[in-house]
Amino acid sequence: MIEKQKNRRWRGASYFIALTLMIPVLVMLYAGINASNELFIHLWQTVLPDYIANTLILGVFVVLLSVIFGVISAAVIVHTNVVGKNALRWLLMLPLAMPAYLVAYLYTDMFDYAGPVQRALRAWFSWQSPSDYWFFDIRTLGGASVVIALVLFPYVYMLARTAFEQQDQNLLRASRLLGLSAKQSFYKVALPLARPAIAIAASLVLMETLADFATVQYFAVNTLTTAIYDTWLGYNDLASANALASILMLFILFAVVSEQRARAGQTYQSERPNKNHQLIKLTMIQQLFASGFCWLLVIAGFILPFILLLFMAWQYSNIAQLQALLPTGINSIKIAVWAASLTTFFALLLVLFQRLSHDRWRALPMNISGFGYAIPGTVLAMAMLATFAPIDHAINDVAKYFSLPTPGLVLSGSIFAIIFAYVVRFAAIANGTIDSGIKQIPKSIDYAPASLGVGLFTMLRKIHLPLLKSSIFVAWLLVFVEAMKELPAVLLLRPFNFETLSTQVYQLISDEMLEQGALGAILIVLLGLLPIIWLNRAKTGNGEEEV
Amino acid sequence: MLKKSKASKLVSKLICGVAVTLSFIASAAQEVNVYSYRQPFLVQPLFDQFTEQSGIKVNVVFAKKGMAERLAREGEYSPADILLTTDISRLIELYDRGLLQANHDKVLTDAIPAQYRAQDNSWFALTTRVRNIYSSKRLGVVEINYEDLADVKYQGRICTRSGKHAYTVALVASMIAEHGEADTLIWLEKFKANLARKPQGNDRGQVQAIHQGLCDISLGNSYYFGKMLKNEQQKIWADGVNINFPNQANRGAHVNISGMGLAKYSPNVDNAKKLMIFLVSEYAQQLYAETNMEYPVRVGVVPSKLVASWGEFKADSLPLEIIAKNRTLALKLIDKARFDL
Amino acid sequence: MKKRNSNQLEIKKLCVSLQGNDILSEVNLSLASGDILGLVGPSGCGKSTLLNTIAGFINQSHGELIVGVLGVGEHDDGELLIITPEHNVAPEHRNIGMIFQDYALFPHLTVEQNIIFGINKLSKRVQQSRLKNLMHLLKLTNLEARFPHQLSGGQQQRVAIARALAPQPKLLLLDEPFSNIDARLRNELMLEMRQLLKNLNISAIFVTHNKDEVFTFADKIAVMHQGHILQSGCPAAVCQQPNNWQVADFLQLGSWLPVKQISSTQFQSALGKINISKEGKRDTALQQLLLKPQYIELSQLSGSAQGKVNVRVDNISVTEQGYHYLLSSLVVDELAFDQLSFYSNELFSLGQTLMLVIKEHKFVMFIPTTIQAAG
Repeated sequence: MIEKQKNRRWRGASYFIALTLMIPVLVMLYAGINASNELFIHLWQTVLPDYIANTLILGVFVVLLSVIFGVISAAVIVHTNVVGKNALRWLLMLPLAMPAYLVAYLYTDMFDYAGPVQRALRAWFSWQSPSDYWFFDIRTLGGASVVIALVLFPYVYMLARTAFEQQDQNLLRASRLLGLSAKQSFYKVALPLARPAIAIAASLVLMETLADFATVQYFAVNTLTTAIYDTWLGYNDLASANALASILMLFILFAVVSEQRARAGQTYQSERPNKNHQLIKLTMIQQLFASGFCWLLVIAGFILPFILLLFMAWQYSNIAQLQALLPTGINSIKIAVWAASLTTFFALLLVLFQRLSHDRWRALPMNISGFGYAIPGTVLAMAMLATFAPIDHAINDVAKYFSLPTPGLVLSGSIFAIIFAYVVRFAAIANGTIDSGIKQIPKSIDYAPASLGVGLFTMLRKIHLPLLKSSIFVAWLLVFVEAMKELPAVLLLRPFNFETLSTQVYQLISDEMLEQGALGAILIVLLGLLPIIWLNRAKTGNGEEEV
Repeated sequence: MLKKSKASKLVSKLICGVAVTLSFIASAAQEVNVYSYRQPFLVQPLFDQFTEQSGIKVNVVFAKKGMAERLAREGEYSPADILLTTDISRLIELYDRGLLQANHDKVLTDAIPAQYRAQDNSWFALTTRVRNIYSSKRLGVVEINYEDLADVKYQGRICTRSGKHAYTVALVASMIAEHGEADTLIWLEKFKANLARKPQGNDRGQVQAIHQGLCDISLGNSYYFGKMLKNEQQKIWADGVNINFPNQANRGAHVNISGMGLAKYSPNVDNAKKLMIFLVSEYAQQLYAETNMEYPVRVGVVPSKLVASWGEFKADSLPLEIIAKNRTLALKLIDKARFDL
Repeated sequence: MKKRNSNQLEIKKLCVSLQGNDILSEVNLSLASGDILGLVGPSGCGKSTLLNTIAGFINQSHGELIVGVLGVGEHDDGELLIITPEHNVAPEHRNIGMIFQDYALFPHLTVEQNIIFGINKLSKRVQQSRLKNLMHLLKLTNLEARFPHQLSGGQQQRVAIARALAPQPKLLLLDEPFSNIDARLRNELMLEMRQLLKNLNISAIFVTHNKDEVFTFADKIAVMHQGHILQSGCPAAVCQQPNNWQVADFLQLGSWLPVKQISSTQFQSALGKINISKEGKRDTALQQLLLKPQYIELSQLSGSAQGKVNVRVDNISVTEQGYHYLLSSLVVDELAFDQLSFYSNELFSLGQTLMLVIKEHKFVMFIPTTIQAAG
């Protein structure tokens, strides 16, 4: 464990980071205090109840579907002899690389009444009008939930799969010998034990869903974020928008915290877990269903939209466009690497503090530093401006006082602000991933090195970091991929002439010309794929016995 | 934890990065900085031309939301010189928040009719765009007013995008100016009742829906029609509809503008003024209108051939300031009518 | 009701191979009802695989497993499960209980929920009565609501036992059940557990690499090596008559003394000549004599007599049976040895030379080729 003096320094560093990351959140909360009652009353009397209901339903649906998609596919991959599992294992992660707004755009376009699918059906069956047949309406809460879940379920899949893989298989064996079938054992033992990991993933999904605006907009679904943008841009009342965003954030945090409460104190790891997985042998029919299910997720969440993009790029793009995109791609990678590295570094610091310190409130820095994920990107960007602009002003005022040349907007108008915004926004992802990784390491390891007379940092370097290596890498990867896709913060905070792939694609989408931006979109996806594929290669296989 | 040296390296690298960005900002030689609500690729040809003529480099940042906020926060240290918007409301918002300064240059005031600039010359329109009503060719030639969208004869035959979209809000604002609050609300409710589907998609999507027979009438800006005609795949959609200029027998079609303003703390005022003058020049107006399929505001400059082929029309002479002023009220009515739900 | 009094488990020519390697080859074993069998052998010998095959976690490639299941439900008569590679039976249908090395208690369930995990299909009344009995029997009363991580190691083991016993299996498998228990508690626990199994008439197979556990806990012993069962039988018999060098070596039944046949009834060793009564096949190869400490004594002839010293004291330790010495031979030829165990009440000093003689007893010898072949 940690000695007093080091604990103090570490505590200092942890709280410093956490509070720094909290500043924009606090700024937002503070700005919300001035919200006008009158506007709230108007919204409450007209549309707000519907928005809130939609928000709740969307949150519940997306989380449920993501959990169903993610847990079932993870269970199939870890626990059965499904055909093609080596490929499916990593293919199931690919939808992560797809920006949700892109998939939403493509799918709404495709399944719309005027879209190719319904057109083809009408042509085939010679239907004339909507009254001739029934077809699901993609632009509904249900449609939005399914499509958003299709791109977000990999969070659940990844964390659930790791949890299943790390579980002590003797627990499942014990259950079998106590008379439960493989399936029953999964429900009564493996699933409850994976609950913390699934919960972390579900909370990431929830935050991402509810803070989203662009995606639901394509589905013509109005949620609380709609109200936030209306109040800010329509009613020109930023204070009320901040208040609504604060309410949204508190609502999400309430859901996350109450889940954590419900499973408080249930941490456990075997000292010598048996990792020999008993693979369930599937019958032909089961094989068909299991692999069909996984492939459907891969196809719907990745392959189909990707092919659509390729098709568009084929029709509308040329080499010159690709060349023009190169510097843009480098910008994207640059800020994504920065964001991923810093976020992961901070997360490691906070998670280890939480693990090793004796403080009663040792989890606090880690928990509060993740709040930013529950705030819509544009609102966060606003808060970022409100945070840094005053500092910039102070710097310039001082320079002016000493008759020095004014340095301009050092913080708020540079990529510093963008990277900071990303760190604030994605801290929750890195924290969650590394935290769920460290929970897999038995606590006894924390004590062992001290008895060997090894110092704290040697212990961390030689034991914790190597054991956490894959979690650290996954955290980095997730933040990198998210940062590649992220739009609102970079759009609003960037310096002049600074384009990333996502701003480039957004420009064209916002002018209803995704076709022209297909190439950029493909680059976002491909660059996000690289680390996923790399991750898969770095991963060593587990011992498995066929039974 | 990672070694200390590594951490401090990270920090020093970060400082370096900031410093580089800094020097990049500070090295303002002959530049003009533009904050744009409009996609840069739509204005880039103009800027390239300007740079070629004047040797002044144009830097652009584009965002659709929050530009005013950024400008306000940056205050006196803002690098922005020129603001470009695609909607009167955004322009008026900038004006109301005191983020613009007047430019009384005679070249500008001469080129742009008084209706299309601020009374104190702190903003100028560059182009106008009409809120058209598209109708299916199945209906034949129709004479239509915005008021007709509430007519029961179009029940289940109208498609439109979200009521919260700036273009719709501006239209509703003009309706309030004409009919008053109460009647506009009734109009909105009846309009909503006529919709074939809940408001969704974009302006092109509505035309596509008409082409597919889902509805017969839709609202859409004029330039989308032109853009669809130029797009191989979308041309067949556009071919299925007529573009109509509403209210020709009375007050005229609702018009919105794209415009510009000079930032209050513009650090490169001279260059900025040069760019503004350039943007209202006959050449730029022609090019701007041509690339965007919009109507140039400068007197004497004609729209592109394609745009001109849709015919002459009468525009509503309602002062743009009134549209901006009615905006909040319009939004409230849209909420009240639960238009999007 | 007709009771099958014969075997609870029979294993016939069982072969298991994993990833192309033969882990078990032609294993034969039987376990009488109510007996406790200790399965020993060095790590990697296949004992865990055998246990897992019996439990149903691994499928055999050849051979037969016959599990006797007595009167369950409507099957009043004993019912036999015959498990072959073609006819597999899932673990949950074998009615076998198992206690794992780390107990494998369900961390998300309380003690009570853990124990009734396997019997939750029975009526609430039966569940509660079994729970109450087991809690009492295993001295777990008042711990119902605790979670496993709130229990001591010994308590966890008791919960594991209670959980395994709740469905009333007739065969219990134990995988190194005592290895995590404090040495002082271990003996007590083993005796308690043995008593319990005997009272409930449950047959058991337990795996260990600790021979002392076998002698305390088991009725029968089976020694495994490289996928074979080398010898099985009651512990005393195996100790007296190990049939194999590996068996004797693994069980550490004594020290190895190199001997060489010099005539049909006489062998030469570093400790002098040995006479055997029974004439055996003459073999000139070097052999290893299993020499238990109790068959060695100090020569009564004092050093000044014609007797010669033949060993030197290398190591001394104090035990409850007196001083324990490790001795090495003074000769350095092929008959030399360096780790002979010897107990005495007399205290010698390090480096002191002594003269030892071997008492007459039934000699057990193995030819080194066997070692080669087996090792």
